[in-house]
Amino acid sequence: MMAGRLQRAKDVLGFDDGAERYTYVTEPGRGPVSASRAVDHWVASTCGYCSVGCGILIGVTDDRAVAVQGDPNHPVNLGRLCPKGLSEHHSIHADGRLLQPTVHGEPATWDRAIGTVVDGFRDLIDRYGPESVAVLSTGQLVTEEFYTLGKLVRLGMGLHHYDGNTTLCMASAVAGYKRSFGTDGPPGCYDDFGLADVVVLWGANVADNHPLLAPRLLGPNRPYLITVDPRVTKTAMLADLHVPVRPRGDIALLNGILVVLIEEGFVDVDEIRETVDGLDDLLEHLAGWTVERAAEGAGITTGELQAVARRIGAAERCTLAWTMGVNHSVQGTETVTLLNTLAVLTGNVGREGASPFSITGQCNAMGTREAGFTASMPGYRNYDDPAARAELAALWGIAEDRLPAERGRAYPDIINAVVSGKIKGLWIIATNPVVSYPNRETLEFALKSLDLLVVQDGFQTPTTELAHVVLPAAIWGEKDGTFTNSERRVSRVRAAVPPPGEARSDFDIFLAIAQRWGCRDELFDGWHRPLDAFEEWRRVSAGRPCDYSGITWDRIDAAGGVQWPCPPGEHVPIGGTARLYTDMRVNRPSGKPMLFAVEPKPIRDAPRPDYPLLLNTGRTVEHWHTRTKTGRIAILEGLSPEAWIEIHPDDASDLRIRSGDWVDVASTRGRVDRIRARVTATVRAGEVFVPFHWDDRCANRLTDDEFDPISREPNYKQCAVRVTRSTGR
Amino acid sequence: MTTVVPVDLAEVSAVPVRLGAKPSAVGAHSAVPTGISTRGPELLPLEAGEQYRFGFSMNACIGCHSCEVACAEQNGLPAGTTWRRVGEIEGGAYPETKRFHLSMSCNHCLEPACLEGCPTNAYEKLANGVVAHHAEDCIGCQYCTWNCPYSVPAFQPDRRIVTKCDLCQPRLAEGLAPACVSACPTHAITIERVDVAAWRADHAEADAPHLPSADITISTTRIELPADVPLETFSASDWNLRPEHPHWPLVWLTLVSQFAVGVSATVDGSGQRIMAAALAMAAMAGALLHLGRPAVAWKAFRNLRRSWLSREVALLSLYGGLAAAAVPLDALRWPAAAAGCAGIYASARLYIVPGRPSWNSPLTVVRFGATAVALGPIVTGHRSIAAAGTAIALIATALNWARLMRTPQQPWWGAVRLELRWFTTATSVRFALGVAGIVTLLAGAPLALSLVLVACCELIGRWLFYVAVVPLNMPGAFWRGAAGTHR
Repeated sequence: MMAGRLQRAKDVLGFDDGAERYTYVTEPGRGPVSASRAVDHWVASTCGYCSVGCGILIGVTDDRAVAVQGDPNHPVNLGRLCPKGLSEHHSIHADGRLLQPTVHGEPATWDRAIGTVVDGFRDLIDRYGPESVAVLSTGQLVTEEFYTLGKLVRLGMGLHHYDGNTTLCMASAVAGYKRSFGTDGPPGCYDDFGLADVVVLWGANVADNHPLLAPRLLGPNRPYLITVDPRVTKTAMLADLHVPVRPRGDIALLNGILVVLIEEGFVDVDEIRETVDGLDDLLEHLAGWTVERAAEGAGITTGELQAVARRIGAAERCTLAWTMGVNHSVQGTETVTLLNTLAVLTGNVGREGASPFSITGQCNAMGTREAGFTASMPGYRNYDDPAARAELAALWGIAEDRLPAERGRAYPDIINAVVSGKIKGLWIIATNPVVSYPNRETLEFALKSLDLLVVQDGFQTPTTELAHVVLPAAIWGEKDGTFTNSERRVSRVRAAVPPPGEARSDFDIFLAIAQRWGCRDELFDGWHRPLDAFEEWRRVSAGRPCDYSGITWDRIDAAGGVQWPCPPGEHVPIGGTARLYTDMRVNRPSGKPMLFAVEPKPIRDAPRPDYPLLLNTGRTVEHWHTRTKTGRIAILEGLSPEAWIEIHPDDASDLRIRSGDWVDVASTRGRVDRIRARVTATVRAGEVFVPFHWDDRCANRLTDDEFDPISREPNYKQCAVRVTRSTGR
Repeated sequence: MTTVVPVDLAEVSAVPVRLGAKPSAVGAHSAVPTGISTRGPELLPLEAGEQYRFGFSMNACIGCHSCEVACAEQNGLPAGTTWRRVGEIEGGAYPETKRFHLSMSCNHCLEPACLEGCPTNAYEKLANGVVAHHAEDCIGCQYCTWNCPYSVPAFQPDRRIVTKCDLCQPRLAEGLAPACVSACPTHAITIERVDVAAWRADHAEADAPHLPSADITISTTRIELPADVPLETFSASDWNLRPEHPHWPLVWLTLVSQFAVGVSATVDGSGQRIMAAALAMAAMAGALLHLGRPAVAWKAFRNLRRSWLSREVALLSLYGGLAAAAVPLDALRWPAAAAGCAGIYASARLYIVPGRPSWNSPLTVVRFGATAVALGPIVTGHRSIAAAGTAIALIATALNWARLMRTPQQPWWGAVRLELRWFTTATSVRFALGVAGIVTLLAGAPLALSLVLVACCELIGRWLFYVAVVPLNMPGAFWRGAAGTHR
């Protein structure tokens, strides 16, 4: 007591300059660094934020992650990281971790919590059938967990409706690839950015969202960079040519590019006819298009459109990369098929520097696409493919009719079925739909109307607050397994520290539920650790497009990540297969890629006098998704503490709004009050932009719950809003 | 279960720059910067007449803020203390809009204003050019934070001292590039050697839009500007014009010491001499509360040669001593008054710094002197002198506004806007109190009433002096200065 007071007095008088807290230690190979980051040992892993998949070393002292550094030997990032990666160790020990299961808000033992989940879901199934319970997962788990979860949900629990938040970001790319090439799977790789003559980033703001891809677009051998985006993004600032396409104008732009390429002889249709399917339908469709019509639809001049087309047409190697600007559309799948069509017609598939390449969102969205059991069965097996069904049933030693006949409801259809009362039990794993799902009011209504809502997460979130049962999970840095990045590279993630409190790995939770459900012995016999799942997944994926059979955890370490397909054998390089379709044979029955003709549809919730502005939503470099982690990391919060709305100077002037003013934003679905205006000419007059990361000032109170009819991906990028000055100071 | 993966640290290059041979230049400026490259500075030792400095390519920076995080991690900085910051400037019309990022930390100037003004000589320009700050000598007076035109040094509350970038001196000593340089994914930040004499003669490359002129301190950071910077640009932080910290102990020190000197200069009788001495002592005692480390306040005398802050402390201490001695020894009243006037002059001079444009004028001397003339003579019964002092204080304030409005840059006009728009009420009340004070003084009202009116007028005026100031700074990001963010 006395000593404490004396110390406080000494502090206030400043006898001490605090130097003892700010010393440096020198570690071999690392150099001097703050003693607060002194590391006992390093654990090699892969970053848990975006899908770039940077190699990261986690520095551990006394079971705490105290530092990170980029893995200098990892082929993806060669030692560099973005600000989220550089502060990722703070996420593990951040406030707000879930430490103990809760049942109806009260702390509970694991035994009771698992019992409540299993008995609750069982009871609903008994009363209302297996269609009454659904599962929403994520892109954040390790592949081993996705594989386990898929078997548990589909075979063990026998549920029909299982999807992931990947439907909110990547479903259109998946569906587009399946239509064009027969199966999912990005054909290219990151090295293509450096090898291409021309790179087109289509609705992809990599400088903010995939920062470690940006260096590949700079430098002395940089490709000619074209960006297509309604906003003049950080990435557009790096471009040689920025195409300020009108929102939803990219289909017109693509049609126009195809018209120019064919008219000007860049594409020889007669030569290509035998190697593709669907050419005649496409040509017939394009007969209805002129450069003028396309330019008008795209909101650019015919000269600009021709310039883009000629750049692509003249390129020896062109990489067409896209992300959410394309996927987040009611026509996302169709736009992907059109991009694939452009790539096929220009010969930009399966060659170095030349591919249609979807940049994924989450760290392991690819893992659930491959090994999960949602849009397809594990190993990209389609539900309606008899041969695939027979093969999978044989591999698992089960009767074929135990495999689901179809995929079941996709994410938005699960929510709609909750609203209509058909689904009464929901298990949400590592995702925060209250913030991330479009039209928040409907979503909240749905979650509140459930008989049983189980949420499994590492942190308290607005979604766990609504849960009847909360299961505390281990997070990145506490779990073992593998992630697959955008370029199909399988990398290791490792537990560096134990989970806090009673939190358990998702893998362990799945096995515990399987045990209680009574299906563990059948489905997971002898499984104790993620490696057991990986070994089975290798066998199950053998011979499939996403072939892991030659990949071992040791090989991943030796190669710094292995790209699938990787069958066993000397002919496959240690790092796996860099590109798909190098022989131009794709996974469709004919072996030929399918071309698609696409007609643009008008925006449903288009601006009109009472809602005159078009809202676009997106991200900022400092935050990840719903800020479950980054919102708890002081330096990232300091850089980007709250949501804002970007508005063009002309609109701001009309509304008497200046930068920094509080404004209210309303759509027909909801409103966001007191959000800071940022007046900037990076958005077009008539359009505004709000980042979606925040629970407070949540952009998804405004967005329209309209979905791609094929992929079921939300149309986050276009809806009508009204902006007014907030009243009061 | 923790899996330990052996990472051969000897293989881990601390300067991992193998992400393709990306130079810092991307656009028109393609010259590869000289200086430390991948291998560390020991391979490029300084030659005679050279120092290390940062280079920055605005072409290559993608605004990812990795440098800021790397800096905080390298140095274990607490939240809110940022030794490196990334600002944004924007210009042009859609879709030809341009937004550029400027990442800066300490510029390790050839004529570092922080060092010149530091009363304790806590700063040192090292042989390799690094402007180093010695924590043990810092008393937390924060004078350097006013002097630096880039607002680089910053008070770190948990240590109660100022801290800043030292170009990663510990890493330099081991032959490693600074953490920000090593972390930058696009190699926009470099560390280079510079010929000091040549740079002193021509340092135009240290200038950039929205950056204070490099002439002030001869910043050494070389900034590569894109060829297509629009003619008219704005800084993303421009909107966030907000008041500075009031520094209450300094409001107290300057106001009370000036009051005391006003009494000393017009003193009549031992009661007033006691009052002057008491005020002088109280002023100095209150000032200690301003320091982060009052226990080592004595170090403030160390830089009498260069620092007006050292001189202020010395002269006001001398004044306090003489004023006390003048209580029994009436003959010392004039030396005391002279020391007091010199103290006020030193006080005012320390605010005349380029980094704070609204203070950077002889009018600050006039305003401080006027406070003494306005307050002291009321106590000693010189009504017309006090009225004149009050009038001068108000007029000097208005003249300062007129001066500031002539410069179309935010640190100038912004100060006036703060005083007249943000603090409309306070400014109005201050002027009303001053006019009322003058009227009561000239009308022969009770002196106590006049003293209350004028003292309140000057108290508000002095508070406004500290809060209605816009520091020179590097351009900021959108959130700079907003709640919960760094400067």
